[in-house]
Amino acid sequence: MTEREAAVAREILRMAREELKLEGEPPAPDEPLGARLDSLSLLALVVAVEDRFHLVLTDDDAAHARSLEDLARIVVARAPPERLPPAAAGGAP
Amino acid sequence: MARPPPPAILSVGRALPPNHVDQETLIQALSVYWGARHFNVERLADVHRAAKVGGRHLALPLSEYPALDSFQKTNDAFIRVGTDVGEAAIRAGLAAAGLEPGDVDHLWFVTVTGISTPSLDAKLMNRLGLKPSVKRTPIFGLGCLAGAAGLARASDALRAFPREVGVLLSVELCSLTLQRDDASVANLVATGLFGDGAAAVVLAGGERADGALAPRIVATRSVFYPDTEWVMGWDVGDSGFKVVLSAKVPEVIESRVGADVDAFLGEHGLARRDVRHWVAHTGGPKVIEAFRRALDLPAAALARSWRSLQEVGNLSSASVLFVLGDFLDARDAQPGDVGLLAAMGPGFSAELLLLRW
Repeated sequence: MTEREAAVAREILRMAREELKLEGEPPAPDEPLGARLDSLSLLALVVAVEDRFHLVLTDDDAAHARSLEDLARIVVARAPPERLPPAAAGGAP
Repeated sequence: MARPPPPAILSVGRALPPNHVDQETLIQALSVYWGARHFNVERLADVHRAAKVGGRHLALPLSEYPALDSFQKTNDAFIRVGTDVGEAAIRAGLAAAGLEPGDVDHLWFVTVTGISTPSLDAKLMNRLGLKPSVKRTPIFGLGCLAGAAGLARASDALRAFPREVGVLLSVELCSLTLQRDDASVANLVATGLFGDGAAAVVLAGGERADGALAPRIVATRSVFYPDTEWVMGWDVGDSGFKVVLSAKVPEVIESRVGADVDAFLGEHGLARRDVRHWVAHTGGPKVIEAFRRALDLPAAALARSWRSLQEVGNLSSASVLFVLGDFLDARDAQPGDVGLLAAMGPGFSAELLLLRW
């Protein structure tokens, strides 16, 4: 992952924990999200990502975004730059 | 002394509020709220379309919902409209059974979408002019399970009073529990799925019903699934009832219901292949499909549940009673036919009733 993708991945994990109240250990960057989240939680995460980063995730995206790493890559490629966190932001686990 | 025959289901009266709104119109109306909170409104619309509901009969005209900004206002509407549709359902049920309000000895009332004391059954005592001696039993909190569970409890009681008549009334006005400030996916799914309606099942004790070709409630079974309280229910707050709905609901049903149904049927010397009529709760596409897979049924076995879902949405406890009413109206059951009525709901629990025509 690039620095910016890593920053987006951290932000997605924060949203999952603080806003969606998804419990449990955070997934590894390359771990399939479908194995960790049930269908409603996955849908909640997709809606939250669209709201936060102002992009539309298509069915084709869903087929390719199997992991947090994949999702962060799509967000960085497609979201308006002003919606992305600074690459150096974060650092905390 | 010979035991009297089991209680019989004489009729199911159904009543829907007059405000029918198709799913696309509802999606358009809700998009106003979604648009203020969500970037991709079309995704939320797709969730509603996936519910496979064609439309809902709403307790109030669509234009009156924005003014419902407190639990008091929604609950006042529940009492007002609930009494109206409850009365209509009971009158329809009694008329279909050839009975009068004065014939009723027991009244069970189930709901999970509004509260009042006196409960709606007391208000209906006055509206319908029921006998002062009617035994009233309001039951709150069983959720979608309550249509089947209420029928089972009614049947238990009528075994002790084989010459008496009872009515089980379910009133569910799910649209009044809509939490428009709850942006959760569970609320979104519920908003797309649940509708409003009332059903009244008229039952007769075994001796009173003698001679009628009506399904008899031969046996009943409650099944409680330990440590699944979190699967579904309400979080009750200042704004009313906020839905709790887990994606695990279909999983629990698919993994458990098959064995429970087999055990229940087996106690009566029956197997799945002996059941000709499956009267199943219309929980939603995933719930109906999980029930079908759990029992390895052909798709056609649950056609009436699918149709009811499409026509009126999930009516919570009234749903399985609407499906039961459709079975009775079709009049395609033969003497000796076996049926199984089933519903699942908060607890998490299942309720099974063995029917024989």
